[in-house]
Amino acid sequence: MYVGTDLASAPLNTHLTLLESDAPTSSRQRLSTLGLRVGTRFSLIQKTAGGGRVALVSGSRIALGADLLGQLRAEVAS
Amino acid sequence: MAVTEQHTRRLDLIVPSATTPSLKACCHSGGGIGAGPDAPVVALVGAPNTGKSTLFNALTGSRVTMGNWPGTTVEVSRGIWRTTRVAATCTCEECTCDPEENRLEITLIDLPGAYSLDPHSPDEELTRELLVGVPDDERPDLCVVACDASRLANSLYLVAQLRERGLPMMVALTMMDVAAKRDITIDTDALADVLGCPVVAIDPRRRAGLEALAGSVREAITQPPAAPRPVPATSDQLELDDDRFAWIATSVAAGTRAPSEHPRTFSDKVDRWVTAPVLGPLIFLGVMWAVFQVTTTVAAPLQDFLDGLFSGPLSDGATWLLDQLGLGGTWVQGLVVDGLIAGVGMLLTFVPLMALMFVLLALLEDSGYLARAAVVTDRLMRSIGLPGRAFLPLIVGFGCNVPAISATRILPSARQRVLTALLVPFTSCTARLTVFVMLGSVFFGAYAGTAVFAMYVVSIHLVVLAGLVLRRTLWRTMGTEPLIIDLPAYQVPTLRLTASVTWVRLQGFLKTASGIIVATVCAVWLFQSIPTQPGVAFGEVPVAESAYGVAAQAVTPVFAPAGFAQWQTTSALVVGFVAKEAVISSWAQTYALDEPDGSDPGTLGERVRVDFDTSSGGHPIPAALAFMVFLLAYTPCVATLAAQWREIGPKWTLFGVAMQLVTAWVLAVAVFQVGRLFW
Repeated sequence: MYVGTDLASAPLNTHLTLLESDAPTSSRQRLSTLGLRVGTRFSLIQKTAGGGRVALVSGSRIALGADLLGQLRAEVAS
Repeated sequence: MAVTEQHTRRLDLIVPSATTPSLKACCHSGGGIGAGPDAPVVALVGAPNTGKSTLFNALTGSRVTMGNWPGTTVEVSRGIWRTTRVAATCTCEECTCDPEENRLEITLIDLPGAYSLDPHSPDEELTRELLVGVPDDERPDLCVVACDASRLANSLYLVAQLRERGLPMMVALTMMDVAAKRDITIDTDALADVLGCPVVAIDPRRRAGLEALAGSVREAITQPPAAPRPVPATSDQLELDDDRFAWIATSVAAGTRAPSEHPRTFSDKVDRWVTAPVLGPLIFLGVMWAVFQVTTTVAAPLQDFLDGLFSGPLSDGATWLLDQLGLGGTWVQGLVVDGLIAGVGMLLTFVPLMALMFVLLALLEDSGYLARAAVVTDRLMRSIGLPGRAFLPLIVGFGCNVPAISATRILPSARQRVLTALLVPFTSCTARLTVFVMLGSVFFGAYAGTAVFAMYVVSIHLVVLAGLVLRRTLWRTMGTEPLIIDLPAYQVPTLRLTASVTWVRLQGFLKTASGIIVATVCAVWLFQSIPTQPGVAFGEVPVAESAYGVAAQAVTPVFAPAGFAQWQTTSALVVGFVAKEAVISSWAQTYALDEPDGSDPGTLGERVRVDFDTSSGGHPIPAALAFMVFLLAYTPCVATLAAQWREIGPKWTLFGVAMQLVTAWVLAVAVFQVGRLFW
């Protein structure tokens, strides 16, 4: 089982659960209001230019910058 | 709308009692509500990119800026929503009611998008302030929360917070067509029950469902707000958030039916190419190149036509008319023909360029592509402290700096807007290109193209270097926020929205630029007409002996270290401050020659070359290069200044002017002093 990795290393098109966030408070709040918070089930669906990812969260597509990926840890959802 | 104006308004709904016999006989009870301070106030709020501004325009007939990407609305707009107090017209026999009495005018305000009442930017702070930061009697009578039906959960956090505070509110569901394509169905009644407020499905882009919205608003503004949603008695933010998200999940589950898995959408398929690591930037560059090419190539003949119209028939006609009136050859003719007609004409030749640029920008915005462009360019722009979306105004600047300055509005942060607006003037606009081409052919012959291309390379380096310097001096903490962008679904741009946005922006350009350009051109004409020696009539003085020429000669020594210290060139730079298009014509006028496209196009070039040769001590090529670099780096034109003044205020505009002049002078001196060692 794939456990506890940052989002830069997390697999694409796989259900993930966000475990923890070391992002700045404002980013954490922004992610939270967009529905991506600890415990949320989501998936990464696209690598983007500049090393970022597009996350699919409750039907929303959220582009995450490369800097942010290392600050978010997730595990493959069971 | 000014915030203070909003704050001083009495927002209560006042329904005057019926006072006339005719009203008593009517099936419509109560009196009418006129526009003015007593009209009810309805605020449009919601997460970014949920269609608030489109709805605002549809309801008020206004034309505020709209776009299919986050951060389009950066200020508050206000308009009057004219509707009726009841949905159907009166059908009772012998009805004496006056349609005017049935009229209901609502003050509608469009607030910047906000995901929550916890602000992350000045525009979100403004939204919070106007909703909950003012006394109760100054709050809107009703908040209409626009919620994206295809991503309902994202929109409901703000709803949860508003419901906790017991604010009068209702929900307007937008993007129902997108939701349907994703097999999401919404039961508005069930959703209304669980949210505790009215819910109406609308399509503001196609103006559907607006009457139903009006009906719900009419009812809601006369009803007391629902009791606040109970929340846990705690100050722990995490616990509060848990409660809110549980409420959101319950609401979504009760009011919607959606597939358990989210299938890949059309937008996902497009994004697979458009945001891809290698292809994404290439597509972005291709799109920007196309914008630049279409704008310049399509607009060029229209610009030439308008230029010919103003400098030909209109000027000739005005001259003939003034001759008939006995004013020919007087200062009146100089003012009208050389000042006003030339000035307004110069402004209007820009209109096709502006209109095309605005149309293309509107198409990109409405389609949803700009959000992707921001993703693609994020890392590059972040290196100079700007988000990826700042790349767009800079690209636009290579066409014309004026719309580029306006395009900085797409940036969410005020600091980012200021920095980008300060960098835009370093992008080499098409107006400078005309001068570069002329000097290139005069001084570099077969290498003219290389010299012109070098100016574009210098321009790009100037943008990057100035950005790095400003970031490391004035704004060291800027750009540390990582990229988080909610990607909207792609939409087919609508003609109405595109035309509307284009017109709003064009109107803004004309309003701002016209006054300043006309005033400046008149001022230049005035100074060229004022004699400095006794015995010479006003308007009949040679340029060299006019106040204009004398002033140019006074500042000329400043450019001695740069190798172009001749007053004819200095005066051209002064005119170039008004607009770069006027540099060549200024030379022609000063040398008392025709325009370069006139009967003897080579003569002007020869005179310019001779003067550069003299002023540079026999090093005309480095002097010409220095002049081109100065022309590239100093203030583009007064229209750009006017746009900067409007977007970033006088302080930063003046700072920018000083920065550009210093940069231009230092670079020009460096180019000449180094260059003369080789040429």
